[in-house]
Amino acid sequence: MRQVPDPAAAGFQTPAAEIQTTARRTEQAAGPRKNVFELRDVTVAYNGKPAVADVTMDIHHNDITALIGPSGCGKSTLIRALNRMNDLIPAASVSGQVLYHGQDLYASAVDPVEVRKRIGMVFQKPNPFPKSIKENIAFGPKILGLGDVEERIEQALRRAALWDEVKDRLADNAYGMSGGQQQRLCIARCLAVDPDVILMDEPCSALDPISTGKIEDLMLELKKEYSIVIVTHNMQQAARVSDRTAFLIVELDQAEARQGRMIEYDDTEKMFTNPSDKRTEDYVSGKVG
Amino acid sequence: MPEEVRVHYQEELERLEKRALEGLDMVVVSLDRTMEAAEHADVELAELVIADDDRIDGRYLEVHQELITLLATQSPVATDLRLISALLHVMHGIERMGDQCVNICKLIPLSGNEPPADEEMLKRILMMGKQDRTLTTQAKRAFETRDVELARDLVHQDDVVDNLNRECFQIAIEIGDDPDRREWAMTMMLAARSLERVGDNAVDIGEQVAFVVTGLFQEFEDASHPGRVATADAQP
Repeated sequence: MRQVPDPAAAGFQTPAAEIQTTARRTEQAAGPRKNVFELRDVTVAYNGKPAVADVTMDIHHNDITALIGPSGCGKSTLIRALNRMNDLIPAASVSGQVLYHGQDLYASAVDPVEVRKRIGMVFQKPNPFPKSIKENIAFGPKILGLGDVEERIEQALRRAALWDEVKDRLADNAYGMSGGQQQRLCIARCLAVDPDVILMDEPCSALDPISTGKIEDLMLELKKEYSIVIVTHNMQQAARVSDRTAFLIVELDQAEARQGRMIEYDDTEKMFTNPSDKRTEDYVSGKVG
Repeated sequence: MPEEVRVHYQEELERLEKRALEGLDMVVVSLDRTMEAAEHADVELAELVIADDDRIDGRYLEVHQELITLLATQSPVATDLRLISALLHVMHGIERMGDQCVNICKLIPLSGNEPPADEEMLKRILMMGKQDRTLTTQAKRAFETRDVELARDLVHQDDVVDNLNRECFQIAIEIGDDPDRREWAMTMMLAARSLERVGDNAVDIGEQVAFVVTGLFQEFEDASHPGRVATADAQP
């Protein structure tokens, strides 16, 4: 059984026991869903201009939640607000509330580094360090002073479905791996620090269909223990892997400035068979660009 | 305004819907000929209906294949997915309606070239055929216009067919004691059964109209529980 991180260590008050990492959606279906994130009127602005505005949504635990929408709708901005990655951009500001297990992610007592340890991120382009496969995985646990590094390396690679492919060449440079393997290595690197949530920003856009399939299989396996939020341009990928889908569009505000807004958020099955909003229908059908 | 894309795909989907629904026009032609053949015991016309059913089967295969190609190549979702699912059902219904006409026409040589054994039963058979024609054209109009109320009304129109079928059955029972006429009556009963099924097929098409429009599949009437309406969430 994977060790559940203790949110209290980062200034969060939620007892670790409440984090139900192994619950499956089917098991939870009978009762109310447990939220990992609750967003309340969240607006992310750059230089005071909202890139995405007034997003209110609950993101369920052990779900894969997809954010879809046209370029510039703010979905990447929104996902980066979930682990305070926007803190790294001086001009960025976040208003509203982002609650993580009921605790304000942007409260002054919360350490952003601890946030990113619990809420890991995988990016569009695989970005391994120019080091060995083993060192890539060991980097996070060593920096954070986590024990059992050797075991963590093997567990992380196993969870990322990469162990069998690389166990005999752990000392090889990660740059020698294929693109798909590099992306799974980045997922393994994320898993090595025992996160609670994995954020994925277009994780397959640079990969071929076979590698994409492996990542999607991996996501479905990982959601048994982790919550996953994914930004994707690939409608079919969102339909294939996600439990819930949020659709964002670009709108012009009163000052004619472009800003993203969430139009519809529902079960993926409904979003792709019978969406409530015509704009969602037109977008998922590919009728408008 | 957002730019419209996938124009060719949309045109192809519209073309396939038109081709599918034209199948209902072909059924109407087949029904008219079948009823004329039944009325006049016209074996040659019945043979024409049987041969011409290949056109309906051909349309079924053509539209079915092209819908499968659209599913494979265009990954339709939402309304488009529901429409394609519905058209696959509609084409199957059309193919069955054509087959029912063939079934009736195969019976015509068996009914003999003599005048009908019972005018009242034949009259009801012809009324059933006429009502099936109404149902078929109404089903097409409901689908074309996405008119759920018109689609629901098909159930009431089908009640007329069902009642006539029951009347035919009653007449057949009454004729049953007459050894000279009962074979004819039994043959006509088989024809009535086929016409009753054509009406049901039209109602099935109406249910697909409701599915396309609402996203919910709903049997207008639950055959296994008369008087109860069955509802289920859409499961395309």
